[in-house]
This record gives sequence, C-alpha cells and structure tokens, in this order.
Amino acid sequence: MTQPALQMSDVRKVYSMADNEVVALDHATLTVGADEIIALVGPSGSGKTTLCSIAGGILSATEGSIAVGGEEITDYGDKELTTFRQNKVGFVFQSVNLVPFLNARENLLVVDELGRREGKPARDRADRLLDELGLADRAKNLPSQLSGGQKQRVAIGRALMNEPELVLFDEPTSALDTELGQQVMELIRSEMKSRGTAAIVVTHDERITSYCDRTVHITDGVLNAD
Amino acid sequence: MFLAFREMSRAKVRFGLLTVALGMLVFLILFQTSLQNGLLTSFVGAIRNQTAPVLVYSVDGQRVIQGSIITPDLEQLVEEADGVGEVGRIGQGTFSATNADGELTDVTVLGYEVQDLGAPAELVEGRYPESAGEAIGSSNDADAGFGLGETIVVQPGGYEITIVGLADDVQLNAGATLFVTYGDYVDAVKSVNPDAGDPLPNVLGVAPADGVGPEEVVTSVNGQSTDLDALTRSDAADETPGVAQVRQSFQVIFLLYGLVIPCVTGLFFLIITFQKSGALTLLRAIGAPAKRLVSSLLLQAVIIVAAGYAIGLALYTPLSQRRLGGIQLRFETTAVVVWAVLLLVLGIGSSLISARRVLKIDPIEATTGGANR
Ligand SMILES: Nc1ncnc2c1ncn2[C@@H]1O[C@H](COP(=O)(O)OP(=O)(O)OP(=O)(O)O)[C@@H](O)[C@H]1O
Ligand SMILES: [Mg+2]
Repeated sequence: MTQPALQMSDVRKVYSMADNEVVALDHATLTVGADEIIALVGPSGSGKTTLCSIAGGILSATEGSIAVGGEEITDYGDKELTTFRQNKVGFVFQSVNLVPFLNARENLLVVDELGRREGKPARDRADRLLDELGLADRAKNLPSQLSGGQKQRVAIGRALMNEPELVLFDEPTSALDTELGQQVMELIRSEMKSRGTAAIVVTHDERITSYCDRTVHITDGVLNAD
Repeated sequence: MFLAFREMSRAKVRFGLLTVALGMLVFLILFQTSLQNGLLTSFVGAIRNQTAPVLVYSVDGQRVIQGSIITPDLEQLVEEADGVGEVGRIGQGTFSATNADGELTDVTVLGYEVQDLGAPAELVEGRYPESAGEAIGSSNDADAGFGLGETIVVQPGGYEITIVGLADDVQLNAGATLFVTYGDYVDAVKSVNPDAGDPLPNVLGVAPADGVGPEEVVTSVNGQSTDLDALTRSDAADETPGVAQVRQSFQVIFLLYGLVIPCVTGLFFLIITFQKSGALTLLRAIGAPAKRLVSSLLLQAVIIVAAGYAIGLALYTPLSQRRLGGIQLRFETTAVVVWAVLLLVLGIGSSLISARRVLKIDPIEATTGGANR
C-alpha cells in the first residue's frame, strides 16, 4: 500500500453565519503517509476538529480536494460519505464516544452490525482488540461501569474495528491525567504501528507529540509543519 | 436488530412499562367492545335473532314492539302489499311471574303465530313449542330460574309456561324473555286481565314472496300507508330507540383510545430518541446508515405494540366469555383482528415522528458533542 493515508490539498472551510463568516481552515494542504502518526497541535478554535471532520468525511470542505487511502471523497454525497466512514476511517471523538446502552464488546460489534456485517470474523476481531487493549475482563461492562481511561480504550478499539486506513483521534487524552494520558498514547502508538495504520492525533499537549512521527501546527486555520 | 434488542434488554423497565400500559389499553378496548355488543344483544337480541326477515310496526310505536299496535285495517294493507309472501302476528307482553325458584320477576313474553316469522332462529337446547304452555327461553337467563324444563307461573292468574327449548342471545330489554306461540301469548294476556278481550298484534312478521328481497318488501309495505313502518330484521334491531345512542357513546370511547394510544407510543419513542440522540449521532458519525437506525426504531415500535397486544389479549380472553350482570360477553374475533391491525398502524405511524428526527441527525454534531445538549 503505497498510497498516502490522507491527501488534502488547498482545503478551505468557511462557516457562514448570519452576519459574518468564520474561516475555520484556510488553504490547508496535508499529506499523511500510509503508516504515519501525525500530531495536530494548535490552540482552541484553531480548526483542528474541523480538519479531522473533513478528513473523516463527516464534513464537506468549501474548497479543495481530499483523498483517503487513494479514494477521492471531495465530491461525495451523504450516502457515499456514510459508506466511506463505515469502511475507511476510525474516529475517537472529543466528547461522546460510546453508546451508553451497549457494553464494551457490543460498542465494538455495533460497528460491524451497522456496517459490513461480517459476523464471526468481526466478533473475533473485537475479542482480539479488547484483549490487546487490556479490556478482556471488562467486555461485559456498560460504559457507565468503566473508568475514563477504560472508556477511552474502548473507543480506540471501536475506531479500529473496521480496519480503517486512517484513524482520527480528537484530543484522546484531554479527559485523562498525565500518566493515564501517556499510557493511552503508548497504546495508540503500538496499535497503529502493529497494523501499519495512519493516524492524526489532535492535542493541546506538547508532551503527547513525542508519541507521534511528526507534528503539524495549526493556527487560525492555517497549517505549518515543524 | 442488534441495536433494537440490546437497547430494550438494557432498559427493560422502561420498555416493560410502556408494554404493560399498552396492554391495559388494549384490554380496555377489547373488553368494552364485548361490553358494547353484549349490551346491545341483551337489548335487541330477540329482534336480531328471530326468524322474520321483515318486521312491520305501526308508526305510533316508534319502533318499540310493545308500543306498536297493528289494527285489522293495517294488517290487511300489509297482506295486500306487493311482494309480501307470508304474514304472521307477533305480540309482546311484560308480565310479573314466579320463576322456578319461586321468585317474582318480570318476564317478557313474545308470541309468534308462525315459527318462521318470529321464533328464535336457532335453538341450542331442547325443541320448539308443540303444545300450549310451552316456551323457548334465552340461554342467558337459564341460570336465573329460566332453565330447560322449568315452569314459570304468570301472575296474577297462575298461567303456567314450561321451557322446552333454549336459544342464545334472544333477550329483549335486558330481561328474562320467553317465546311462545301466539295463542299461548293471548291466553297469558287474558289470564292476567280476563276482561280485556283479545289483544291486537304488536307487530307483523313478514316473509317476502319468492324472488323478492326484504328491502323491496319494506318499500312496498311502507307505500301502503303512512301508518306502517316496515323494517328489515337488522334495521329493526339497530333502529330500536337507544341502540344508536349506545353505539355512539362507545364510538366516542373507542375514538379516544385511538387517539391516546398513538400519543402514548409516539411520545415514548420521541422521548427516548431525544435521550439517546448522542448515541445516535455517534453511530451516524461512525458510518451507520440512517435507514438502519430508523428500522431499528420501527422494529422496537412493532415489538412493543405486539407485546402490548398480547398482554391485552391475555387479560381479555378469560373475561370475554363471562356474564356480567345479565349481559353475556362474547370473544369478539373481528374486533381483536381489526384493533390489532389498527394499533400496529397507529403505533408505527406515531413513531414516524421519532424516525424523522433520526433522519435529521447531522453526524457532525458528534465532533462537538452538540447532540448532547
Ligand atoms: N458549526 C459551526 N458553525 C460556525 N462556526 C463553527 C462551527 N464549528 C466550528 N466553528 C468555528 O470554526 C473554528 C474552528 O473550530 P474547531 O472546532 O475546528 O476548533 P478546534 O481547534 O477543534 O478547537 P478546540 O481545541 O477548542 O476543540 C472556531 O472558530 C469555531 O468557532
Ligand atoms: Mg476540537
């Protein structure tokens, strides 16, 4: 697989409001290699979540082109984007990450149930992921019965269930203390590297960047590499 | 499937309560359907389940048998009307009588001249009267001292009537009802009031001539005189004063149920859709097609309505065969089927509002947690 995991060229995102416009991304160009882990660092409101949402096909860009794993998604409609998200990307969101009425294992399985419906291979994959993430004995717990770090690990497993080309982590450690944050980052790195999967890790925290291959800074929607 | 069942199994109390609430409503609906039909049957069963296809009243009677009087002139006009085959007299009297248990009660006696023009259409036990002093009773009254083989004594005067046959659902005015031959009826009236002379018939039972329909006979008899009021058997039952009012009251009640049920299910699903909008947004964001989330919701609605219906039916079935203060209830198969279909449609229809909300979810909210507001 020689295709880059993500290729964004000249992407602009403008939010039009009643009386003003917010330029959340300004001519952003970014390439993420097939198994590269990138840290996306920037102050609040700088456009980090916007960039991830566009890369993950949740949001459409105003201008520019986006390709994920060689698949051009720039002109996709709602249905195509849904299928794209189902198959090509993994998400760990800033806030809600787990379905409260599903236990840890089911939160992984739901990806397959509402997506490709592979059945047994998916169940095996879920069990393997839970095992790798140290959650084998928590598989039957509901999110409300899990600690913050455990929840975040379930979310990581969920993001990997569909064997994505690219995983988008939006501040995966912001709700965790420093030590736990570092453990989770270690886990993210080892999971990504063992699979050869690319990732973008959004963070405020400069210490997190050491777990990534490369750091990209963003300020007021403008990207600049280190 | 997965999502729908998991959610329900994790929120058993919530879904269980809705199911039970629906079950209660279903029970009330079905029970009241039986009650309505039982009530009407006890009022006009004797008219509905007698043999004469057409009944002719006098207009003055206002469609009450006992209030109607057919004079010999009118009787002749009916006999001469086009399309009339056979005509038979029917008389009705309400008497005080001691039943087999020796209790004094009111009893309605219907006398018919011709068995095919006014006797109960079908017997469930015994036989039709063959000689004087024999009667057909209503099986509904059998336990109340009007059973097969029992003798009723009309008071005062002591005229004795023995029950030789029983028919289902042949009460008039929700009281004990006996069918006797016309001669017997006349004798009973005279035994109570020896000076009154022969009573005039109250109504006439009419059979259309060969090849003529009951509706045609009704039209031709009514054309004979403005004093005649001919009705087909089922019209005579339905147009008895009070029947329409009872029907209407029950219809209002059923209409209210028809409104309450979709409101209950619709609101329930709307509330839980709101409550789990965070989860639904997340699922949309990770690639769940909106259609799948909607079908999961509709599946839940179908399961809840079906389960609620089963509960309602389970409560209704044992009660549906009982007697309730002189009213015989019956299991209303048609109502059970019709309401099942109707409630399923209403239940699914009402949850479509929630489905619309699900379809409107924008997965972008997952990135901001906006759906959790
Ligand atoms: N739906 C929206 N409508 C209007 N403006 C928006 C919308 N979403 C984001 N913005 C604006 O776009 C800019 C970038 O937002 P974004 O959420 O990408 O920032 P962020 O870098 O993720 O911030 P944080 O670190 O606080 O999460 C902000 O100025 C924000 O106010
Ligand atoms: Mg953000």
